Amino acid sequence: MATVTATAPDTRTFAGTAWSWITTVDHKRIAVLYLVTSLAFFMLGGLEALLMRLQLATPEADVVSAERFTELFTMHGTTMVFLALMPLSAAFFNLLVPLMIGARDVAFPRLNALSYWIYLFGGIFMNISFVAGGAPNAGWFGYAPLTDTAFEATHAIDFWAFGLQILGVSSILASINFIVTIINMRAPGMTLNRMPMFVWMSMITAFLIIFAFPAITIGLVLLIFDRYIETSFFIPEGGGDPVLWQHLFWVFGHPEVYILILPAMGIVSEILPTYSRKPLFGYAVVAYSGAAIALVGFGVWTHHMFTVGLGPIADTAFAISTMAIAVPTGVKIFNWIATLYGGSISFKSPMLFAVGMVSMFIIGGLSGVMLGSPPIDAQVQDTYFVVAHLHYVLFGGTVFGLFGGIYHWFPKFTGRFMHDGWGKVHWLLMLIGFNLTFLPQHMLGIDGMPRRVHTYAADMGFDLWNMMSTVGSLMIGFSFLIFIINALRSIRHGEPSGSDPWDGGTLEWTIPSPPPVYNFAEIPVVDGRYPAWDIKRGGGHTGAVATAPEADAEADEPDIHMPNPSYWPIVMAAGMVLAACGLIFHQAFILLGAVLFAISLIGWIEEPAA
Amino acid sequence: MHKARPGVTLANGDANRPVLGQRSTPLTYRRRIHTALLLPALAVAALAVAACGVTPQTTLEPTTEAARTARDLLMFVFWAMVVTFVLVEGALLYCLIRFRRRSGDGIPPQTHGNTPLEIGWTIAPAILVVVIVVLTVPAIFSNARAASPDALRVRAIGHQWWFEFQYPDIGVVTANELHLPVGRDVEIQLESNDVLHSFWVPSLRGKLDMVPGRDNKFTIKPEVTGTFPGQCAEFCGTAHALMKFYVVVETQAEFTAWAETQRAERVPPASDLARQGEETLTLGGCVACHTIRGTDSAGILGPDLTHMGSRQYIAAGILENTPENMRAWLSDPQGVKPGNTMVIPELTTEQLDALVAYMQGLK
Repeated sequence: MATVTATAPDTRTFAGTAWSWITTVDHKRIAVLYLVTSLAFFMLGGLEALLMRLQLATPEADVVSAERFTELFTMHGTTMVFLALMPLSAAFFNLLVPLMIGARDVAFPRLNALSYWIYLFGGIFMNISFVAGGAPNAGWFGYAPLTDTAFEATHAIDFWAFGLQILGVSSILASINFIVTIINMRAPGMTLNRMPMFVWMSMITAFLIIFAFPAITIGLVLLIFDRYIETSFFIPEGGGDPVLWQHLFWVFGHPEVYILILPAMGIVSEILPTYSRKPLFGYAVVAYSGAAIALVGFGVWTHHMFTVGLGPIADTAFAISTMAIAVPTGVKIFNWIATLYGGSISFKSPMLFAVGMVSMFIIGGLSGVMLGSPPIDAQVQDTYFVVAHLHYVLFGGTVFGLFGGIYHWFPKFTGRFMHDGWGKVHWLLMLIGFNLTFLPQHMLGIDGMPRRVHTYAADMGFDLWNMMSTVGSLMIGFSFLIFIINALRSIRHGEPSGSDPWDGGTLEWTIPSPPPVYNFAEIPVVDGRYPAWDIKRGGGHTGAVATAPEADAEADEPDIHMPNPSYWPIVMAAGMVLAACGLIFHQAFILLGAVLFAISLIGWIEEPAA
Repeated sequence: MHKARPGVTLANGDANRPVLGQRSTPLTYRRRIHTALLLPALAVAALAVAACGVTPQTTLEPTTEAARTARDLLMFVFWAMVVTFVLVEGALLYCLIRFRRRSGDGIPPQTHGNTPLEIGWTIAPAILVVVIVVLTVPAIFSNARAASPDALRVRAIGHQWWFEFQYPDIGVVTANELHLPVGRDVEIQLESNDVLHSFWVPSLRGKLDMVPGRDNKFTIKPEVTGTFPGQCAEFCGTAHALMKFYVVVETQAEFTAWAETQRAERVPPASDLARQGEETLTLGGCVACHTIRGTDSAGILGPDLTHMGSRQYIAAGILENTPENMRAWLSDPQGVKPGNTMVIPELTTEQLDALVAYMQGLK
């Protein structure tokens, strides 16, 4: 056992600072690592998108080659899903879950660090492919048999398959960690029915990950077998079936959509009440509809496969389940609007992003209902209509929601505001750019432009829509630059925010910003859904929520035992990723990786328990 | 389930805030609504102008029962969604404008829920989707209808990156240009020779995938003569964008005449130049992959070229079949269609001239 004071790293030197980050097991610092890394990958995925948009701005353009284009859309999708949005959600899980439930850290702090380092190394591993013989190029969905060695003999697909396996380990470990944390470490009095909605959505997301990832893990193992030891799970010549891959992929892939959207829904469910000064309307229904979406989400996967030819019975069954999921989704939206009704709404930048999320997500949901009808889907499946739909959900929904979260909790991370005016400029530019990019794509799809095409003929009538789309995407890129500059500047020069700048209702606003390493000097007792409001408004609740006075936090460090920093997580992650490198570059790496893994495992076990 | 609690007003929770805020006059927020509506209105106007362009591959101009069913369903659901959109976004905008914070606002009434209301807006979307399902299901089954016994049978086979069409009953093999008689059931069986492809001619029917090892089929009855563009709609590798084809729907008489021509052996070269072209082609290795019936050739990897000259397009629907385009294709296949597997040795100008003359003559 060690005390805070005993383990505080020497941050006066650069090496000391770096070492403190490398060995950190503090959920708040891991959140910062997740945030920074995921935004870097977000920028990379965005640049890939911009290159594609430049290529498609005009017909028969030659900005990038056809080969490069396949790499760009594969890596854009893969990067945005696995390296940008999921980890950005994980940054919020890390920062907020312990703070919102009144805990001092997550249940397994070293496991938490391990999740992050696996993610970082896995992301780098996958992107090394760009300079190591070609990046993955079979689409983020990697449909067999295009992924077979007969059609892709380089290691492009191997980078993708091993990369996804590595990232899957990271996601599953993190999910176990957060489920255990949420179930076991809530402050006294915080029943499940009093958890902040973001915590609810985090828990549902974590369960989704745990149940959905095994499907793709199995699929990838079989794919790797097909590629390395010439089995033929997905190869028709050997008795396999390429459609099996599609089932395995979408049994994972559709819940993955909810993995990406539910955290944003959780964030919005915190932001809307805060800036309306009203509790979330229909709390229980919002929570249960999240669970219903997750559950039904496992039963809709073949709506991605309506054109495979599964037959009218299967198409009917999955059309019905797909339509059914519109109901809990609609309920969530109505409850958000009802939360605003009768409120006192303040339009700070976080609120603008949250409102943007709701209004754009509605459009994605409605086009989703159109796609859920198989005869319609047969026309617009694999066209730009689907591209438009999925971006209204994952950009209009997830990205707007997550950015709202960044503006909202930035003061909690840093103790300073992001500049609100520039935040609004970011919002407005992104909203206009986003709609300019993706609204025309609906028409492109209906007019017959397939997706994943590197070019189109001049006489197809696609020119104008594509040009609009490209102009819009450049606006999005520009708005993101404004965001980055605003964020970087605000870290040091932002206006000090104090501990509770937005009149928040959840527990994280009762402690200083940035929070002390131990979060809560005294574990709070909770007897309502908005304990911080209860304290501030004296609304009849008697929760003994302990607040550490800001001024005293530094001077009077309480003697609270926190886990030791550990370098074993990063060593173990390195071992895992080196082993994967061994299957691509040289077998010696496998041995090296295994040795590192074994050493770190022993070191991890033998490390004095904190 | 959590029961809705009666609203609790905590207006006095903050001593600094007056109990009630002043609401602004309706006039003030009407002006704001105008500003808020200006942008979408402009966007809609722009879309309307742009929509006048010619889009040959659109899904909105169906020429068969199947495509019409899909279009009608699309339009119905689209308008249902537009109405929903207006109602929901309208409610959202109303709340945002009506309940914006004014100076002097206190803590608003703390409503937690309203069970009848929540049940209501659970049922409302449920009714809407039930209606859509009721309309959808018959369309699914009618799209999957079996062909009549006298249907024309066609095998459509996907290759990286071109379409092969075989008519087993009438002994015709061709590529990238599917001829169909009007007014008769056609059963198209979809196969793939390598990876996934998808058969999509928006004016005839929604797409259906070509899956190796799995034989999909669908039935259509073309109703209108004309040439309709189609395109592979499932990512199939580098040149996926350049895998197109055309469907020519013609009268039964035209179709019979066409089939007659296609069944015949190749038209013998008519000039010395063309004869030279045939020689270049047969001796130069082209016949390892291509068949030209009537010559010493039996290649099956590439399209059958016996009546190459009769097709409207070359290189899988991406270039019009003109001598210039043929020359461009033969002199730089990778430039025209990146990734394709056609191997052509460096050709002299004379050889190119001869080949182009010969191919153009293969009517």
